[in-house]
Amino acid sequence: MSIVKIQAVCGFGCGSSLFLKMKIQDILKENNLEAEVFCGDIGTCTTVPCDVIFTSAELAEQIMKRTAIPVVPISNFMNKDEIREKTLLFLSESLL
Amino acid sequence: MEEILQKDHIRVKETAATWEDAIRSAGNILAEAGSIEPEYIDYMIESLEEYGPYVVIAPMLAIAHAAPGRGVIRNDLSLITLSSPVKFGSENDPVFVVLCFGCIDPTSHIHRLTKIAELLSKESRISALADADTADEIINILNS
Repeated sequence: MSIVKIQAVCGFGCGSSLFLKMKIQDILKENNLEAEVFCGDIGTCTTVPCDVIFTSAELAEQIMKRTAIPVVPISNFMNKDEIREKTLLFLSESLL
Repeated sequence: MEEILQKDHIRVKETAATWEDAIRSAGNILAEAGSIEPEYIDYMIESLEEYGPYVVIAPMLAIAHAAPGRGVIRNDLSLITLSSPVKFGSENDPVFVVLCFGCIDPTSHIHRLTKIAELLSKESRISALADADTADEIINILNS
């Protein structure tokens, strides 16, 4: 199968999404998993090809209304446990 | 550290009554340094009003910035801590630490922001920063 594309989204795609992207990449590395992780902004994220969008709880609500792409809300961009759990859950489901 | 976050761009125990005050306080450092136009501070507040309080990305920590380019003179970062925390309307409230930045384009600041993100990326570190009494202490915590 082709490599999973994970888009980390914030308002402009150049600030908090970077924090989230780095944490997701840490989790992937620790678990020997491969995926492409990149930053996106809320305005264009639904037009960028990807398999899943990770973003804050507030932005997730707005994005879900506009797209069929799965959206994973993250409450705390510094909480590795939360991001690990949600990243591994998405990847295991996407492999089914 | 100086090339990532200058010591004179750090202020501790600032007074802010509201989240707008906190953003203005952090933004003023960059305006005084000549890194942003004063209008950029308004753009940061407007973007938060538009997109909501998601900028509080973790308990106690807000990342304040606006769109790349408009009102930005050069890539720069500032960091403030608050003597009394303020609420942004986020589940991660209250906020004690505000990291503020302006970037001239979407990519050229990434290296620097990545470095500061690595330094901040331990939850215990944010509360240590909130307790610091001087800019030197902040630098020591980030370097530890």
